[in-house]
Order: sequence, then C-alpha cells, then structure tokens
Amino acid sequence: MTATLTVTETIAPAPAIPVLPASHVPAISAAQMAEVDRSAIEDYGVTLLQMMEQAGAHLAEVVRVEIGGDLRDKRVVVAVGPGNNGGGGLVAARHLANRGASVRVVLARPALRMSEAARHQLATLIAMGTDCCVATYDLGDAALEHVLATADLVVDTVLGYRIRDAPRGEEERLIGFVVGAGRPIVSLDLPSGMDPDSGEASGAAITAGATLTLALPKSGLLTPAGVARSGRLYLGDLGLPSALYTGIGIRTNHPFAAGRVVIMDRTA
Amino acid sequence: MTVSAQARSFAEKLGLLNEVALFDGLSEADMAAIGHATTMTHCVRGQQILTPDDPPDRIHIIKKGRVRVYRVTPDGKQLTLDIHERGTILGDMSLLGQSRLPEAFADAIDDAVICTITPDQLRQLIERFPTIGVNLIRHLSGRLQSAERELESLAYQRVDQRLARKLLDLVRRFGSPTEGGTLIDARLTQQELAEMIGTTRETLAHTLSDFRRRGLLATVQHRVVIRDAERLAGIADADTAG
Repeated sequence: MTATLTVTETIAPAPAIPVLPASHVPAISAAQMAEVDRSAIEDYGVTLLQMMEQAGAHLAEVVRVEIGGDLRDKRVVVAVGPGNNGGGGLVAARHLANRGASVRVVLARPALRMSEAARHQLATLIAMGTDCCVATYDLGDAALEHVLATADLVVDTVLGYRIRDAPRGEEERLIGFVVGAGRPIVSLDLPSGMDPDSGEASGAAITAGATLTLALPKSGLLTPAGVARSGRLYLGDLGLPSALYTGIGIRTNHPFAAGRVVIMDRTA
Repeated sequence: MTVSAQARSFAEKLGLLNEVALFDGLSEADMAAIGHATTMTHCVRGQQILTPDDPPDRIHIIKKGRVRVYRVTPDGKQLTLDIHERGTILGDMSLLGQSRLPEAFADAIDDAVICTITPDQLRQLIERFPTIGVNLIRHLSGRLQSAERELESLAYQRVDQRLARKLLDLVRRFGSPTEGGTLIDARLTQQELAEMIGTTRETLAHTLSDFRRRGLLATVQHRVVIRDAERLAGIADADTAG
C-alpha cells in the first residue's frame, strides 16, 4: 500500500493597499506639521533618523506598487534636495537598491551642503556603492537628461513641506530637469514646489503620478489644485505617539488601523 | 536631539562633515603675509589641486576662484562634496587638530589662485608673525572648550540657553563689529543653526524672534547682529538646567 501525501496550499492574492476616505482623516497645515515634528523630537524623544527611516521605507514600498509590483531590474532615479525630505529619499534609495532596483541618486547640492541627517543617509549609500552624484557638478546637462529619460520611475524628494517660496537655484534646476524628462514620478510628502497649504505652485513644481504624504495629509493635497498636482495619494505612518496629536489638539481617527500605508480617496 | 554621536562619526568617516574655516579671524594683513611667504599656484579651470596621493601635510588656501572638492568611487564616478570660495582652507590640518577629508580630490571650477603652505613654511610664518601662532592656539583651545560646552549643553540646557551660548561662540569665531552691534559674519541657515544646538528649525525661529523682540539681536539680510552681548551672556550662564 502506498500512501500519497498531497499538500494543497491556497495562497490568497496579496491584499491590496487599504483605501481610506479622505473625510475620515484630518488634514493639517504646514505649521501644524512643524509642531508635530517638534513635539515628536522634543517631547517624545523620537529622533529625526527614526522618522526618516519610516518615511523612506514606505516610499520604497509605494514605488514598488506604482512601478507594477516588482522592483527587480527597474531603473529608479531618486532626485534629492538638501533637507530632510531629501534624507527620506536617500533612505528610500537604500531600500529600493536592497530590493533589486537599479538605483541612481541625483543630489541637488554638494554632499556637505545637505542636512546632517541627510548626510548620514548618504554616507550609508556611499558605503553600499550606490551610484550618487550632484546634478550641477558631476553630470552635464545632456547626461542628466539621459539619466532621467531612461528611468522607469523618478522619485521626487527635492523639497518638503517647510518650503513656501518658489524653488530657486539648484533645487529649481533639478525640478526643471525632472519635469522635462516626462517619466512617472512619485513624490515624498508633497510634490516639490507645491504650497503645502494651498496646493498652488508659484514657480517650478512637480506634477506627480503618486504622492506619499506622511503622518497626516497636508491641507494643500486636498484642494483641487493639489489633487491635480499630487496624483494618487498615499498616507504613510511615521509611528508617532497618538498622545502627541491629542496634546496639540488633533484627533487622528486612527488612519493606520488597516495598514501602515493607506490610499486616500479624496472623492469621499 | 540631533543625530546621534554614532551617526556623526560615521558621516565623518566618509568625509561628509563640514570642514571648519581655520584661518577665520586672521587679519587681512596676516593673510597677505601668508600669501607672500608661500607658493602661489595659478590654476586653469578643471586643473587638479589636491589628490589623496599628495603629501599629507600641506595646507591650501583659495585666494581666488572656486574649487570643487569631490570623491571618486571605485568605478571612477565623481561625487561633489562641496564647492569652496575665496578664503577657504583645504588640505590636511592634522597639524591643527583636524584631519583632512578622507579620499578627497579638489579641482578648480574657474581660473583660481591657490596658496600652498608646507609645515616648514607655517613654522616660519609663526616665527615672523606670532599673532598667527596665538590665533592657532586660541583656535585649538576654543575647539576643545566648545566641544566640552556642547556636550554639556545638549545634555542639560534649555533651547534659549543653548542658542545664547552658540551665538556667543559664533561671535567669538566670526564676529565683526558694526554700528548696530557685532555682526556674525558667517553664512548659516536657520536649519544649520538649529542642528548645531540640537533643536528644530521652528523652535529656533521662535527663539530667535523672542531674542529679537527683547532687543538682544537683530537679523540683517539673513545674518545675525548681536545688540546686547551682556544680556545674552546672562542667558547663556543662567543656572537653569532642565
């Protein structure tokens, strides 16, 4: 007598990213977000590097979804500004490279002109051997155009929510090249050059296919101009204490109950 | 909190921390004297000024033009670390208590004039101009003191106290007297100043405007002018840990 052991395993299709009606979650102004950041660091001892790691890891995951589900051998260019939004982009670059993408990092400014936390992330990328260069000084215009035009997707982490004025100098220049390349774009927190409160742009600005905003959606992403500019809107969890929001008078309504990254439905 | 000490040293190891402009505070006359007693090199655009293979003990001062400092990856690609202008010191400064950026190259972006000083020449300069020697000693002891103060202040003080101390430190290093007070003659963004004292830009902006309202300082074209150093020192020294 022969025994046949048959194992039948049914694997359910991977759950899609949960969708949350935008009306379920409060939107916040740039000033409120600055207060959230301040309180996280000063009142709760959450470090900038901790938050940056969360942002960058979620950003890599959003890029995976937007690029078609698998990062292997996909060409991703990460456009990086000098502040902490750029630092999140550098974290994403590390995760994207680890997950099989072919990553190229283009910095708007020389490495030593970046924020301390961003320099820290850059040091890790250099040690990993990830391709990093500065747009103006290490690539000619033609080379920069080529790098961007041949990307499957461009990640925009040039400017964050703290920038209110029209982009200038190296940031404006890099935004111009990213826009000119016409490749799919995923922005971190908000499209670079967009006003966080009004959704308008007073100068050079990105129009993204998708945007990963952090902690809570910035008000400008919910205005008609902001909706048009930001594309599909994802919300990512920074892991900040609920008490922090209560302390500054914001009721969050647990946006991450169904997942640490959710898609915001702005029609609802 | 700013980025941890561990993070700092890792970034430092890879040459990703700013150099300090060591000769700041020397007079024009001293700088001219240094210029005359040393080798001047006129560089054309693109000319290499510094490679990791150079003798490790030279100091280079940019007299004219702009210089790009960069690393070269094993596969030959360049990453620009910084762009320096007139007045910046490049090269190994282990002699002065600061080591050089690891594996750094430098080349001229425009036509540049570079003044190169060997350790021998520096010794001769100090003999001729004792002020230079005194300044170097002051610089070194200042570095030591501020390192100690920074450790203490990050651990115990309030933001206004940390800011007051940092401003007084900057006055000592970059201060130049003007009609309205002492101008801190250094290009510093609010973000950079916030990071120096381990706070956020918002808190810094708030504290700065508080100081402004109290008449302690004024801001003129993104630079700080200290109007009342005495009261600022009072805040810096206040015994209010917490």
